[in-house]
Amino acid sequence: MRSVSRISLTQRLTLMFVSAASSVLLALGFVIAASVEQHFEELDMEVLSGKMELTRQAFLAVTSHEGLTQFTHQLAQSLVGHQGLEVMVIDADQSVIFATGNANFSPEVVLDQATRTPGRSGSWTQGSQTYRGLAAQIPTATLDSNGLPVNVYVAVATDIAQHTAYLSAFLKTLWLFVAAAVALTGVLGWAAVRRGLMPLRTMREQAQVVTAQQLSHRLQMQHMPVELAELAQSLNDMLARLDEAFTRLSDFSSDIAHELRTPVSNLMTQTQVVLSRPRDVAQYRSVLESNAEELERMARMISDMLLLAKAENGLVVPSRETVDLASEVRALFDYYEAVADEKNLQLSLSAEGAVPLLADRLMLRRALGNLLSNAIRHADPDSCVRVALGQASNALTVTVENVGDTIAPEFLERIFDRFFRVDPARQHADGTGLGLAIAKSIIVGHGGTILATSSGAVTKFTIKLPHTPKLT
Amino acid sequence: MKILIVEDELKTGDYLKQGLTEAGFMVDLARDGVDGLHFSLTENYDLAILDVMLPGIDGWGVLAGIRRSGKDMPVMFLTARDAVDDRVKGLELGADDYLLKPFAFSELLARVRTLLRRGGKAPTDPFLRAANLELDLMRRRVSRAGQRIDLTAKEFALLELLLRRQGEVLPRSLIASQVWDMNFDSDTNVIEVAMRRLRAKVDDAFEPKLIRTVRGMGYVLEDPTCVA
Repeated sequence: MRSVSRISLTQRLTLMFVSAASSVLLALGFVIAASVEQHFEELDMEVLSGKMELTRQAFLAVTSHEGLTQFTHQLAQSLVGHQGLEVMVIDADQSVIFATGNANFSPEVVLDQATRTPGRSGSWTQGSQTYRGLAAQIPTATLDSNGLPVNVYVAVATDIAQHTAYLSAFLKTLWLFVAAAVALTGVLGWAAVRRGLMPLRTMREQAQVVTAQQLSHRLQMQHMPVELAELAQSLNDMLARLDEAFTRLSDFSSDIAHELRTPVSNLMTQTQVVLSRPRDVAQYRSVLESNAEELERMARMISDMLLLAKAENGLVVPSRETVDLASEVRALFDYYEAVADEKNLQLSLSAEGAVPLLADRLMLRRALGNLLSNAIRHADPDSCVRVALGQASNALTVTVENVGDTIAPEFLERIFDRFFRVDPARQHADGTGLGLAIAKSIIVGHGGTILATSSGAVTKFTIKLPHTPKLT
Repeated sequence: MKILIVEDELKTGDYLKQGLTEAGFMVDLARDGVDGLHFSLTENYDLAILDVMLPGIDGWGVLAGIRRSGKDMPVMFLTARDAVDDRVKGLELGADDYLLKPFAFSELLARVRTLLRRGGKAPTDPFLRAANLELDLMRRRVSRAGQRIDLTAKEFALLELLLRRQGEVLPRSLIASQVWDMNFDSDTNVIEVAMRRLRAKVDDAFEPKLIRTVRGMGYVLEDPTCVA
């Protein structure tokens, strides 16, 4: 199997051409040979049956044994000039009454053919000669002692050596021609295939240009045949996806590097300053504690980044279970209750018409938790944070809204970006700046959508989740 | 309690050994899988902490060797790789816990104590006490110096956790998962606020102060008069 599949496309197509051409030509050759042979046979038969008919008519005029002998001589005269034509006449006792020069056929054969298959030709050999012969029982006008007509058996045969010679010469030429045609088809087919596959080579050359640095390169499709254009389109789509993933990956790495730079530099400076001269234990302790806090935040950021990386590769929905969103939200309210209390916030849930859905419970809880924590953080004191579960066409909706500063549209667009903060001064005040990005990737991972709107001091996040989410 | 650490990263190994020793455990440290397996088969340990990527024999191999020899002490894996397959493999081989680097030492310590406690008898005493603080598990009541304190359900659960693990520094992530069943690192100061409110009720009006914040690590409840 492997060796077959390794044959090049050119070889494969050429082989196919050759085998198709040779089967067609061979079939044609057989048909021609058969029809030529049949044609000769018909020609012979025409001559033979004509002679036979003449003979029959003549014998009907013979009325006596003497007449018979006399008649046969006349017959001999009339047959002179028919080269290759032999006639033999025998009576019922198989004694030869008359025979032309070379006619020396076996009387049994003649008798046999005349009685069994009159009117059909047979192939008779005599010495090295082959004849096509016709035999028939012919009644004469002479009566025997019982008053019945005397029958004679007449064999008419023609030498077919000429025809055979011609036919074999013809067949030889024919097969030679077929062989030559097959060879020629092979060569021409090979050339045609090579030429026909030229666009493939062009495509390969173009594809060789694509490297990690040049993922934006695309295959040119203007001059490609339709079949290849489709392939090229698919390859281009693949390149586009790769390009996108690659760009995302490099953005991702540079984001990590950038975001880690500040805390690492803080840690280094702080530690080195403290080490530069002797201090008392309390000071060492305080620096170590501060370092521990900073490191903990970095560790959290790393695990958040990893989660995001997984999400963007469609790996965040490892499990499917029935999730009751209302009870998830209540658990989250429990969790954030104390924080909300601090700002005197009301947490309210309206869950009318909410139905369970299939999802990854922990992931969904995390997404909702991030949204809720974001809402609580940005809510005005003494206001209300509302979560509502509902149904839209074919989807579950979750809205999380808080009263607070209206977010400008240009910021809203970027609110789900990694490390984006509306207020850059709050860089390190809270969190890693990844909460909303994580929430979005989890929702998208469940086949849902998330949208942020902000107007009239109300900021609202709307999630739509399909009832039976598709894996991304 | 005797713990085996198999860790090839020099600093990590040294600090783990120091930290666990200072937490009151006897610790042996092996630097590669071959030594680790040898130690674990010749000595009796109450717990093994294995790095996954090790020279010689990897962590999986060491675990397999330990289990083949019939030893059933709890085994905890440390790894920098977070792949679901790794977790599944570890659990299939009979690992008891799985901790992802970077981790907080307080988290490791809390988990080590959980693993070592596992299999021990549940305390039958329905009262948890520290100094003059008393928590009644049956009636779900808390009193301090004979004075009744009203707590919400979550505050009660939080105090119960702190009391059950007196003297241990509990990291925020552990508190979030034990009390609220929240297994993600929250980016808010939820635990801080909850703890502050609990202290206001339990500690502020009383002496001695029992709940303490350990900066950079977490929270601990201990009776300061008992600490040497």
